[in-house]
Amino acid sequence: MKNKRLKRAAGILLSTILILGSFAGCTKKDGGTEGSTSSNGAGENQEGTAMGRFLEEDVELPIVLGNIYDVKKLEDGAIRMIGDNGDNGNKEAWDSKDSGDSWEKAYDFPEELQDADNGYIDYGALSEDGQAVFVYNKIEDSGIKPVIYVLDKEGKASVLPFEIPQSEEGMKALAMDIQFLGNDQLLIMDINNTVYQVSTADGSVKQTYEFESSEEEVRNYAVGKRMLATIGTEPLSYDTENGEQQSTEEVLQKSLSESGNIDAVSTLDGGESLYYLTSKGLYHYQFGGNVAEQVIDGGMNSLGAPAFYPIALTMIDEQSLLIAANDENSESPTGVALLKYTYSPDVPAKPEKELKVYSLRNNRELGQSISRFQKENPDIYVNYQVALSEESGMTVSDALKTLTTEIMAGKGPDLILLDGMPVDTYIEKGILRDLSPVLKESEGDYYENIINAYKDDEGQLCAVPARFKIPMAHGSGKDYTPGEDFDTFTSRQGVLAGVDPKILMDKFWYTCGASWKKEDGTLDASKITEFLTKMKNAYGEYDKSIEEDERTLSYAYANNEGIDVVRLTSLSWGEFDLLAGKVKVNTGLYESQEYGMLNAVNEKLENGDWGLMPGQSQNVFVPSMIVGVSSKSAQPETAEQFAKYLFSPEAQKVSQRGGFPVEKESFLSVIDGHEYEGMESLISGGSAGNSDVHISYAMEPTPQEEIQRMTEMVESLVTPALGDDVIKEAVSEQGEKVLKGEISPEEATEAIMQKINIYLAE
Amino acid sequence: MTGMKTTRQKIYQKWTQAHIGRKLLWGILAVLAVLALYPVFFLTAGSLMGNDELKNYLGAVIAGNEGYVDFPLLPKFPTLKNYVEIFLDSPEFFVMFWNSVKITLGVLAGQLVVGIMAAWGFAKYEFRGKKIFFLIYMILMLMPFQVLMLSDYLILDKLLLTDNLWGIILPGIFSTFPVFTVYRFFREIPDSLVESAKLDGAKEWQLFVYIAVPVGSSGIIAAVVLGFLEYWSLIEQPLTFLKEKSLFPLSIFLPDITSISKSGMAFAASVITFFPALLIFLGGQDYLEKGIMAGAVKE
Amino acid sequence: MKKKRKSMRGFLWIFPSFLGVLLFYLLPYADVIRRSFVGAVDNHFVGLKNYQMIFENTAFLLAVKNTVLFTVICIPMLIVTALVCAVVLYQSKYGGLIKSAFLMPMALPAVSVALVWRLLFHSQGLVNHWLGKFGVTESDWMNTPNAFWILVFSYIWKNLGYDIVLWMAGLSGISEGIYEAARVDGADERQIFFKITLPNLKPSLYTITVLSFLNSFKVFREAYLVAGDYPHESIYMMQHLFNNWFRSFSFDKMAAAAVVESAVLLGLILLLQKAWDSGDGYETG
Repeated sequence: MKNKRLKRAAGILLSTILILGSFAGCTKKDGGTEGSTSSNGAGENQEGTAMGRFLEEDVELPIVLGNIYDVKKLEDGAIRMIGDNGDNGNKEAWDSKDSGDSWEKAYDFPEELQDADNGYIDYGALSEDGQAVFVYNKIEDSGIKPVIYVLDKEGKASVLPFEIPQSEEGMKALAMDIQFLGNDQLLIMDINNTVYQVSTADGSVKQTYEFESSEEEVRNYAVGKRMLATIGTEPLSYDTENGEQQSTEEVLQKSLSESGNIDAVSTLDGGESLYYLTSKGLYHYQFGGNVAEQVIDGGMNSLGAPAFYPIALTMIDEQSLLIAANDENSESPTGVALLKYTYSPDVPAKPEKELKVYSLRNNRELGQSISRFQKENPDIYVNYQVALSEESGMTVSDALKTLTTEIMAGKGPDLILLDGMPVDTYIEKGILRDLSPVLKESEGDYYENIINAYKDDEGQLCAVPARFKIPMAHGSGKDYTPGEDFDTFTSRQGVLAGVDPKILMDKFWYTCGASWKKEDGTLDASKITEFLTKMKNAYGEYDKSIEEDERTLSYAYANNEGIDVVRLTSLSWGEFDLLAGKVKVNTGLYESQEYGMLNAVNEKLENGDWGLMPGQSQNVFVPSMIVGVSSKSAQPETAEQFAKYLFSPEAQKVSQRGGFPVEKESFLSVIDGHEYEGMESLISGGSAGNSDVHISYAMEPTPQEEIQRMTEMVESLVTPALGDDVIKEAVSEQGEKVLKGEISPEEATEAIMQKINIYLAE
Repeated sequence: MTGMKTTRQKIYQKWTQAHIGRKLLWGILAVLAVLALYPVFFLTAGSLMGNDELKNYLGAVIAGNEGYVDFPLLPKFPTLKNYVEIFLDSPEFFVMFWNSVKITLGVLAGQLVVGIMAAWGFAKYEFRGKKIFFLIYMILMLMPFQVLMLSDYLILDKLLLTDNLWGIILPGIFSTFPVFTVYRFFREIPDSLVESAKLDGAKEWQLFVYIAVPVGSSGIIAAVVLGFLEYWSLIEQPLTFLKEKSLFPLSIFLPDITSISKSGMAFAASVITFFPALLIFLGGQDYLEKGIMAGAVKE
Repeated sequence: MKKKRKSMRGFLWIFPSFLGVLLFYLLPYADVIRRSFVGAVDNHFVGLKNYQMIFENTAFLLAVKNTVLFTVICIPMLIVTALVCAVVLYQSKYGGLIKSAFLMPMALPAVSVALVWRLLFHSQGLVNHWLGKFGVTESDWMNTPNAFWILVFSYIWKNLGYDIVLWMAGLSGISEGIYEAARVDGADERQIFFKITLPNLKPSLYTITVLSFLNSFKVFREAYLVAGDYPHESIYMMQHLFNNWFRSFSFDKMAAAAVVESAVLLGLILLLQKAWDSGDGYETG
């Protein structure tokens, strides 16, 4: 009897398992969808680790290149490169017979293309038999006229008898791209996204392809006898023999939707298969095939770095390739780099150590540092996760919740950039390691006032800003004097008029918020009321017309699309408004040296000057790129090694508007404008939107007095701005209403306190 | 005769009184019903509007313009553009749709087996501690998700089920709510029916398969419909247990409506998400009602 | 002997389900109980400190107050409204269409509801637009105490159909015979309703209350999607607090609050069962 029961129980269980198992198939497939990103040709060694990876190296060139138009492996096996000599602007073609190890000059471009006074080369491309083609934009009285030159293998030039037809809409006939299709035809794309397939023999048009896309970028590539166009990330394939569109390459389409738009292509088999480069790395796709294989993971080298813009890709063979790129942070002084990638079967496909790095928003400086750190430490793979991307639609709150679960499960990131996170809570809960030993070991000399922003009572540094921004103001003498206090400044009615109320609130939150916290951790309501009342006085009546302002509209756009909102609170963003007289005083965060611009604007002001932004707190700085190492990290040494790198002069000197370095020497090198030395002719300028306000100024080294002034200013900074997003959101939401005149400062304070009290009580 | 007449008059009087009162009530009910349906109309209309039209109507909220939102029940320039955009240009939408289908079907299939068996056990058997067990089930049914969130995550993590649809499906299968729903139904099956089948020599499993399931079918379908609605619009679990975007279900796909260019898609996505739920709902409504009803009736 | 064997058999039916419940619900729950006695991240034993902490925590007290208030107000409101509708609809052949309309909101995904709510109750939203036509001044609905009533409204809106059906089920269980007899005795409609209908519906009330209670937790989804982590203080519920605690690694407080909450739930269920003892036969023994 008992046995029978057991059997029955077993039967029930078994049937349950069977039923569960029968639909197990449905989730197993999920793994397969990611299969398209597996690594190429990765063998396995005896221990079972996948082996083999492409390693990156800089190609040493005999000259400094100021620009590369194209680089291509020719039919005879040589590699040809066309570009500008960075030293004298001479335009030259170079050849390498040994896959890029040594180079010799093939020819100088003919006179008519060297002429820099009457025009300039806009685009250039090579064919496999060594011909070159250029779009030379000739500057005539009537405007720019593109002339197309074809150079034979030896550099003898002839003008192609082809003119880009004027479009009906009256858009100028300008070329936007040019390349060879085979050796005897060209693909020329004009500004209306129309592609002309032109014979090099007589300039006759063989086919015309029209793409209508106002929103998404259209690019086109010649692959064998095929033309591959992309509209956004949507690939379209055309047979160039008859101009007909071919069936959709669905696998390619899916791959591009995941990995992003194609930046450059190459082929080894006459166009049967395609190598293409995206910001995620290099991929290989056989037309009509069912897999787009990732050959090189961009996350492990420069390919994935944020300021890396590929120009050309050429496959040497299946195991090596060259990539020309504009790389703002390359070793090359002009930022033009030629990189070689070679497959090495003896290194593991993925570095043994994986370091997880996390930030809420994408940090370009960090991306750059990761790329370099990996190059120096090939055994470490830094996996950088950005929680909030443009398309994820995730809120900060969701992201932090996920982060919490992962940290608690011991799967969290090793190093965290704490920007936008509740730093104090994290420190208090003990989830961050003390970094003071790391900084002590580090060779740099730091601004103690900045790096100690989050120092706790026991002298521990669990969160350290690697950069900082300075809230500053700029205006003419009657509206603003550097160093004046908040009361004096805001007593001038309407001094802040003309700024978008929300942006203004965000800016002054930095200089005022820090003074609101009372000893017991609660907020001082009277200070908030005072803040809002004074802000309203300084703002004056709300002028609805600023809603129509093009730049404000673009703010709404940027804000909604999740694009770099940070930039809108920057000082430089408002400089044009100051110049145009739209605002009396420009305020904002100073994130990178803009001396030339500030000075140029200042010259147009009456007794103008710039300095620290007035606020209820004095001498405020905004900690940025705040580094923390998780106390639950399984590999604290590696995490600290990377943290240390982030504070090293090498990493600190990288500046992409994410704030000033906390390391003194790097700070100087970032603000002194040394890169402009000997380049007096360099003129920069710009205009605001469609207004006729225009400014131009010379890019030159920063004067010694200004360097001195800035250094002293930085040394005077003592108060870190509050980094708490919850309070900031509440203040900015209610403050906007006050400035718009919808509610009184008292009502707003009540609403803020109501929300914040709950938050602080939790 | 006269007596009869007065009664009839009385009845008539009462009838008219009741009639007027009822008419009023019906009027109120009809208004309420329209109110209940308003969001459905709203979403449908919005999904058929172009971005310009939406921007025009909703500008006050999504672009921070002055004035108010205005929203007609019919679009002025109806267009299927939003749907086209979702179906043709958003491959991720399909992935999410299938994830939702997998989660919902997975959970329901499991519940059908495990939950119904448990309900049968609770309804028709006596065993030691049954009262306690049932109480536990009831409390678990009422426990908000947030209470167990962290511990759940840690256990799923140990079982390697985080970032995996099974991490959503398995706990769903063992949800105690369907047990409760179907239990109420199985209680209605007369003991005499079960006893007589037993006397005819039916085995335990035969009782379940041939009596419980068929007789209780509308209760089971009711549980399925309720389960579908619940798991089709699941929010907290996927947000907590899934990180890989390719695993997200439709229910957490809300393109930011404050974005001008995406608000049309948000409407269309809402309608598309609503649609399967509506179909299941309309198909199962009779059962749902019967199921809910039968369970609530006292023996 | 026989009885004992029977007891095993009954449990076997429940066994697979219980196994899963044990793994996915009871085990985590045990972990929650453990956590309620230790520190948040370091796992040191702290005794009853966490419990003490939450009762001194004003955010917790506010959340408790709101949750209780919400439950006490909206559940009776829903149940009574649904009853009135059910009685009217039950007596008509044409009630089906309206009933379907009432049930529809149940099928509407929370995300879609949130979308509509946001456009309706924004300070520049549709509701203000309509009210403006009648000269009523605008109100920022979700940032005033009105938010609470919007939440009550949305709860009733979503669950009315469900409860109507439940009541109608109860109504259909009352045999015509009783009504006939009452009419013969000369009882009028009102008397019939209060003397016959209502008492006979008493057993259904238990089920309806439990289910309405269950659904009252789900309204958090809409509240969260519309108003975020820190809504107006009148709709700051237990789940908001749990969510926020979770994000700030306050697992100590969270666990203690969870244990307290489940204790209250247990008490409530036992109380309900006792109150409806004569009713449905849930106290199976």
